[in-house]
Amino acid sequence: MQRKPDPLSAPCSAASEETGSSRRRFISQLAALSAGLSVVTPISRGVADTTQPTRGPDQTPEDGGFVDITLRVNGIVRKLRVDPRVTLLDALRERLDLQGTKKGCDQGACGACTVLLDGTRVVSCLTLAVMAQGKEITTIEGLAKGDELHPVQAAFVSCDGFQCGYCTPGQIMSAVGCIHEGHTKSDTQIREFMSGNICRCGAYPNIVDAIKLAVTQGKEAI
Amino acid sequence: MKAFSYKLAGSTDEATGTGTQSAFIAGGTNLVDLMKIDVMDPKELVDINQLPMRGVTLDNNGLRIGALEKMAYVAEQPDVVQHFPVISQALLKSASAQLRNMASIGGNLMQRTRCGYFRDVIMPCNKRVPGSGCPAFTGENRMHAILGVGNACCATHPSDLAVALVALDASINLQGPKGTRSIKLDDFYLLPKDTPNREHAIEPGELITGVTVPHTNWYQRSAYLKIRDRESYEFALCSAAVALDMDAFMIRDARIAAGGVGTKPWKLPEVAQALIGKRVSQATFEQAAEIAAKDAHPLSQNGFKVTLLKRTLTRALVQVGGGVA
Amino acid sequence: MNMVTQSIDRFDGKLKVTGQARYSGDHSLPNLCYGYLLQSSIAKGRIQSMDVSAAQSSPGVVAIFTPFNPLKIYSPAQAGEEGMISGDVIPLLQNPTVDYFGQTIGFVVAETFEEARDAARLVKLQYQTQPAIVELQAGLGQAYAPKSVSGMGATVSVLSDGVTSIDEALRSAPVLVSATYNSPIEHHNPMEPHATTAMWNGDRLTIYDATQWVQGQQRNLAAVLGIDEANVRVLCPFVGGAFGCKGSMWMHSPLTAAAARVLNRPVKTVLTREQMYSAVGHRPSVRQTVTLGATKQGELTALKHEVYSTSSRVKFFAEAAAHRTSLALYKSPNILVTHQIVPIDFAPGTFMRAPGVAPGMFGLESAMDELAVKLGVDPVDLRLRNYATAEPVHKLPWSSKHLDECYRVGAEKFGWSRRSPEPKSTRNGDWLIGQGMATALYPAHRSHAEVKIRFQSDGNVSVSAATHDLGTGMYTVLAIVASEALGIPPERIQAVLGDSGLTVAPVAGGSQTTASVSPAVAAAADSAIKKLIATAVSGTKSPFSGMNPSDVSYANGVVQASGKSVPFEAVLAALDRSAVEGSGIASPGEEEHKYGFLSFGAQFCEVRVNEWTGEARVTRFTSVMDVGTVVSQKTARSQVIGGIVFGIGMGLLEATKVDPNSGWIANRNLAEYLVPTNADVPHIDVEFLNIPDTTFNLLGVRGIGEIGIAGVPAAIANAIFNATGIRVRDLPITPESLLVDQKGMA
Repeated sequence: MQRKPDPLSAPCSAASEETGSSRRRFISQLAALSAGLSVVTPISRGVADTTQPTRGPDQTPEDGGFVDITLRVNGIVRKLRVDPRVTLLDALRERLDLQGTKKGCDQGACGACTVLLDGTRVVSCLTLAVMAQGKEITTIEGLAKGDELHPVQAAFVSCDGFQCGYCTPGQIMSAVGCIHEGHTKSDTQIREFMSGNICRCGAYPNIVDAIKLAVTQGKEAI
Repeated sequence: MKAFSYKLAGSTDEATGTGTQSAFIAGGTNLVDLMKIDVMDPKELVDINQLPMRGVTLDNNGLRIGALEKMAYVAEQPDVVQHFPVISQALLKSASAQLRNMASIGGNLMQRTRCGYFRDVIMPCNKRVPGSGCPAFTGENRMHAILGVGNACCATHPSDLAVALVALDASINLQGPKGTRSIKLDDFYLLPKDTPNREHAIEPGELITGVTVPHTNWYQRSAYLKIRDRESYEFALCSAAVALDMDAFMIRDARIAAGGVGTKPWKLPEVAQALIGKRVSQATFEQAAEIAAKDAHPLSQNGFKVTLLKRTLTRALVQVGGGVA
Repeated sequence: MNMVTQSIDRFDGKLKVTGQARYSGDHSLPNLCYGYLLQSSIAKGRIQSMDVSAAQSSPGVVAIFTPFNPLKIYSPAQAGEEGMISGDVIPLLQNPTVDYFGQTIGFVVAETFEEARDAARLVKLQYQTQPAIVELQAGLGQAYAPKSVSGMGATVSVLSDGVTSIDEALRSAPVLVSATYNSPIEHHNPMEPHATTAMWNGDRLTIYDATQWVQGQQRNLAAVLGIDEANVRVLCPFVGGAFGCKGSMWMHSPLTAAAARVLNRPVKTVLTREQMYSAVGHRPSVRQTVTLGATKQGELTALKHEVYSTSSRVKFFAEAAAHRTSLALYKSPNILVTHQIVPIDFAPGTFMRAPGVAPGMFGLESAMDELAVKLGVDPVDLRLRNYATAEPVHKLPWSSKHLDECYRVGAEKFGWSRRSPEPKSTRNGDWLIGQGMATALYPAHRSHAEVKIRFQSDGNVSVSAATHDLGTGMYTVLAIVASEALGIPPERIQAVLGDSGLTVAPVAGGSQTTASVSPAVAAAADSAIKKLIATAVSGTKSPFSGMNPSDVSYANGVVQASGKSVPFEAVLAALDRSAVEGSGIASPGEEEHKYGFLSFGAQFCEVRVNEWTGEARVTRFTSVMDVGTVVSQKTARSQVIGGIVFGIGMGLLEATKVDPNSGWIANRNLAEYLVPTNADVPHIDVEFLNIPDTTFNLLGVRGIGEIGIAGVPAAIANAIFNATGIRVRDLPITPESLLVDQKGMA
């Protein structure tokens, strides 16, 4: 069995040589499981431009009205017809099947829904989808290049910067933003600038380690 | 969240010409949150993000901050960090990095109280439904105000930035259908008295275009101290904005305000007055801080804020002025 | 089996960092509609009328179910019994009675989430309200002794010969310490809100449900929906945190399934953060009095631990703070624990990380610190002087106990010897520095489990059981144990869990999963190897055809006999077989009655407290754990860190604020229900003794999910006393307790 050492693993882990093709098979197995095995196949909306009206045109609400919007998500243009009430978070999750961005509180109090808008980290639960037009939206699904993890993603794996994984997409998007902002000058600064992302499993010390690792070893790629 | 229509304002005139059923939206961090829980239910949202209320500039007239600038951006502008550290620190102690990236200065100054009764439409609240009552007086009021409490409302104002700006005598610049005007931020916030639903001296259709802070050299000797249960991402139990004009160990002038304790950002001119002409010492600071709470009316759960206010002020004064002469 | 601790990356890591891990609310289905709970706004009374006309005609509304137009929910078979199958056993929506604030009184289904949320707010309600008791203090007058607490009587007493009562023993003690400690209602607040996505195919239900126990959920759903459990499949490969609040079935799950059945289309319900404060359990409020009698040398002569805990009037739950701590930790010739239930008109409580133990150890270990101070004895020494070498009640030997080593290693790593016992003697500027310690313990549980292992022709091996990974690392543990048992690298192992159709596994609660499932993995590996060899010798095309099975061996993925070595996938290929599988079971046995089983640990904590403004922050933490064999080093360390962070929350931040007049919950959100942020957590040093407990099970594994929190609030409180000289006995410890006269002003 061939094992490829992970270039990012060293400082966090004595023996994290965990990659390789079989690993990916395991991952795809898990993906199949999480997608429901043979029971039901979630709708895959593909990657092309998609127009997905949420209901027929005769059901326009009395107040307001549906609006046609165009969102650019992970480099792909997506067209939607939405109620203006729809947040960017719910547009991503419920309309574009990008379920990687998580809803933890829906009130801007936990950071699980963090995405990048034009490279800046924001909470998507308090961003109306209609107001995210014209901006480059980057979600957790848009971070890795194919099978190659973004340095921050790789560092989170290496440092075990998560447990249940639910806050993780938000933590990682926030960490990418935090590194961009340059708020990684000390452990204290990382902790403070990552405090907008609640992790109830308590992975904080490992998250700090992961960010430091990503900064020192993955700089050129971030 | 009630249904609404959405409009992107192309000009300030277009924005200020909208009706009373409309609400302006910039960052949306407070408004969208409150709309989701039906505490606010505008029929129309007017997106003002395209308007030209931008820029952070410093000249002899003072520091001008465009209302649409983001909190995170303003906090790290060199002029702000160097000449008005209390503003920078208040901003950086606010909310979270993500929310500071989203929230505008104007929106921050307009944010609504965090009182739980206000935020829950199933409960009475005089601020939300005038005359419906205030359960906080006999209920959960640990986080509530001890200063400026009337008979109708005891909710605190949540902004940290506003505390720093009120301390520094900042003015707020407004533009409305009748033109532009500027008033002291301290006067912009209204005491709840019998009309807690009216929080600001703002007219229908008026828009905050920016704030202006007088340019005073000694404001660079200032700090914002925020005390909270949690180390980060929380509203203040108590906070202090302090600026001191010092001549060696003598205090020539002072600007002081407190947060987390008042029904509005609480300016403390008498505390400042008590410091002027005094030599810095812990005793001087403690004596002045005593004055801060003289009109305090603590509620059933927040009596500790009387002590905490005095201690917070003293600690901030020691931090800015030095404790030992 | 020779277990070697492994330090590999989390197996499900890549799925979690790329957003590919799908949780229960992450499923888009054709024709999906959205469910939304409507909750009561009063604590007690009756719904007089419910006008749904405006809601019904609101855009996008599909259906509205109420007590006046209910979905049929049967009473679960286990209603009223104590145990894991519990949850919100009141079949909600079946009548107009309101028993607590936030009770589900309606279920709205609409085309979109936004429309469902909006419609729920349009329902007009009229209540007939009754007075309610919503907090411990107000309900003390109704307190009663329950029939059973943690499987024991409400009062358990151990008295030495000739002693007639605990009070007599206390009266004759040369030194006495007695104090009362309070802790509030706390909420689990996993980051993943409870989510259910239900779809029917004829009479068969498939449901993605956020749960710690797919098979328990399967049974409960079948019971309340009135269908055969064979027709229910519960899927939950990923759980976004649970901490106990996904261990029971709560009513949104069957309501969602029942609505999907009636409407004949899939329904997804994701609870709002606010709804979670009354729909999915909480840790009850506890008032406990600990009285310690001791000799002047610090040997305990009597220990009395009296507990009151709140319990919903409609659903019994005992937060067994004394029974699970004071009957286990110290050698005392006389021990008495009592438990009283304070019934309140509040939502049902449930297991929350280290149930009973977390508050109980706050009381007991704070009291021990108070005794140490009174005697002038070092807190570690005091604990060693009362070290229990046998289980205190039945005097059974411990299966494996190295707590003394935890104290020693912890003290050394932390630098305990440099601590000044004198309060207020260390400072850094205006921050007072203090250090404190406490013991950790948690019962070692184990249940029946069955595991299947398949050798596959693609060269991989799958290991499966209906267990869970709550973030606990179970995928990784399964893979490591299977890897060790089969001699195959972990990356060739495929771990499968979270599906009720898999082999039997217990609820992922009580820190028992690794201890229960791992031995079954080892047994399954033996069985699968035997099957592989039997297959290898029986098939005519096999390289081992016709050989005596006893002459054929297996090692490291290779079948061997008389000089031939053939990888298992090649054997399978030669036979044109896709796979060979074996299954193994493991259950606790006679040893259960012969030993005491506990995990142990020592917690050392440093805090700083601002002498002006009284905020306390944890600055350093060292934890040394005696939890048996550590299977997966990275995930185990993360578990303990997570427990400590939970403990920091419990110690300094967490409290559910209930309006005493109305039962309304004031801080039903993550902005005001404070859990620790990144900035609240320092570097945490975790050390495992890693001494196998092979009396407990073959692999020597005990649980680690809960012990991390045990003792943490006490270690913090004890450190705060060392910093300030102020003994705080009420949680959470907030500035108002620490503003007292530190600067000579108040």
